[in-house]
Amino acid sequence: MPETPVAPQLTSLSGWGRALVVFRKEFREAFRDKRVLFNTIVSPLLITPLILGLVVSMAKKQATEEGKTRLEIALVNSEKAPATVATLKEAKNADFTPMTREVAEKAIRDRKFKVAAILPDDADIRIAAGNTVTVTILLDEGNQSSQTTANRLATAIGERGQAVTGERLIANGLPLDLARPFDTKEEPIKGGGNVAMVLIAGFLPYMLALYAILGGVSPANDAVAGEKERGTLETLLVSPASRFDLALGKFLNIALICLISCLLSVVGLLWPLYTGWGGMSEITKATGGLHLEPFTILVMILVQIPLATLGAGLLLAVSTYARNQKEAQTYLMPVILLVSVAAIMSMLLKSDSSILYALVPVLNAALVLKQALEGIFNPAFFALAMASSFVYALLAVAFAKTLFDRESVLLKA
Amino acid sequence: MVEVEEIGKTFADKKKGAFRAVDGVSFTAQPGEIFGVLGPNGAGKTTLLRMLATILEPTAGTARIAGYDIRKDAQSVRSSIGYLTGSAGLYERLTPREVLAYFGELYGMRPDVIQTRMNDLFDALEIHEFADRRCDKLSTGQKQRTSIARAILHNPPVLFFDEPTSGLDVMAARSVKQFIRRCRNEGRTVLFSTHIMSEVEALCDRIAVIYNGKIAAIGTPDELRARTGEIHFENVFLRLIGEPLDKELDAGGKIHA
Repeated sequence: MPETPVAPQLTSLSGWGRALVVFRKEFREAFRDKRVLFNTIVSPLLITPLILGLVVSMAKKQATEEGKTRLEIALVNSEKAPATVATLKEAKNADFTPMTREVAEKAIRDRKFKVAAILPDDADIRIAAGNTVTVTILLDEGNQSSQTTANRLATAIGERGQAVTGERLIANGLPLDLARPFDTKEEPIKGGGNVAMVLIAGFLPYMLALYAILGGVSPANDAVAGEKERGTLETLLVSPASRFDLALGKFLNIALICLISCLLSVVGLLWPLYTGWGGMSEITKATGGLHLEPFTILVMILVQIPLATLGAGLLLAVSTYARNQKEAQTYLMPVILLVSVAAIMSMLLKSDSSILYALVPVLNAALVLKQALEGIFNPAFFALAMASSFVYALLAVAFAKTLFDRESVLLKA
Repeated sequence: MVEVEEIGKTFADKKKGAFRAVDGVSFTAQPGEIFGVLGPNGAGKTTLLRMLATILEPTAGTARIAGYDIRKDAQSVRSSIGYLTGSAGLYERLTPREVLAYFGELYGMRPDVIQTRMNDLFDALEIHEFADRRCDKLSTGQKQRTSIARAILHNPPVLFFDEPTSGLDVMAARSVKQFIRRCRNEGRTVLFSTHIMSEVEALCDRIAVIYNGKIAAIGTPDELRARTGEIHFENVFLRLIGEPLDKELDAGGKIHA
């Protein structure tokens, strides 16, 4: 048993030293938690690419299917324009079913037909006279499939129109190119953005903002609410570590885990594009693979620091305020919702939006990232976004520290 | 040594208004003494111990623990005390060895001192067998032994026990009581709060009966018996707080002059 008590054998460990002790223990404990391993490592590295792969392959599959399927078109006024109908019927991949306008509208509403083509009464006369025939396309604007079919029909009619033009030119002994003085073709520049970059610019800010919060949820809930629940917080409070040391140590751990989660979400989004996994090679092959400039990578890393810090501050405040982990989960719902809204806004806003957006937390970091991915660097926006993000992060940490000092909050269970 | 001077704590309650949980409590506990704080649930025992351990700040009075003022030198106080409660848990994903190393580091102990101290405590409390097993795999008794080792790791001269046997089975509670006795025998000052009369009778050298946040009486068990004329400590306690005895339930011996 212990010897006779003497003065405690203590070294002069500073506050920072104690905060680091707390940090090390929290970090070690966190990575023994399966929830943390899943949310921080497995989810960003594997689940994100899986979702992305599914989205891309589904979009590709739908596009392929829509391209292959024959167009089923309701045709109005066909009896008044047999010559025009005969011309249209030569269109590839299209079938026309004659009906009245009323029947066609009902068929579109009932989703039996996606679109209808209405021929003008004088269609045949205009064709014969070499004039333009305006075909009205009836569609349901609330039906995406109807819109896609309308576009395909417009293209098919346009192609038929070109064929008719060609026939007219030949009939008059004129060259085919007469009706097409200009033509265009697209060629991507070297070192410019590409389709993959557009995809990343759309997804990445959202992913980063979410993972800045989601990755830290489990360790944060465990950090204070969990300690209250298990009865370990009281034993910590009687140790020589001050409340600031405890709050700082716990905050550093959550911030680091949020940062790891953020970084891995970038890796999770990039590795399928680099390896071409899950059909991603289709996206990058046009430009010979994905190339990220060192500057873009630097910005990608830099913007994550204030994001992770802000996320950790918010999570620690919620965990400190809550009585237990279940309560902390409930309080987190609106926080995650707000972060999601800010992240979604970044998908909707243009990257050269007003500088005032640099003051909106989460959205500002997301926009800086979007700009970097599109090859834009706006020093004023970047500086303001970073500065305001750090201020918000500090406010969140200060709030968490204030809660840590309040007996009524820390000891409620 | 623990010297408490007119200490008090008032909580602000939005519904009930100001609530005095502890009101003008004073006493002194000496090294080598087990000083019991006896009272029913809600009497203010935990609040009193939490103030002495610097978890809560007093709203009146003060106390000196091992010579340090709880208001002026909280960190030195915390370095000088060990604290064990019945509801205290352990870090489930750490092993007893890791838990003790963590607290040793927080107390600023040198790594070699932590190792030596840990080995001594593992011997004394028979922890070696499960020292490297995660705490969530331990039995209640093994967890309690680990908690005891954690509380005494830094060799504190003063120990606070707040209802340390609550929720424990007979064997685990017994080992806690044996440990408290050993602490006294080693010359530590022990403050022991409970509402279980048999524990008070078996362990305490002196007792403060606390009721509604105030001290109702202080003395040795025999002094308190003599003052009330009762033998059974439950009756002693009821007399001291001014509760009438139930003829059937509280039937027990009287001291005859």
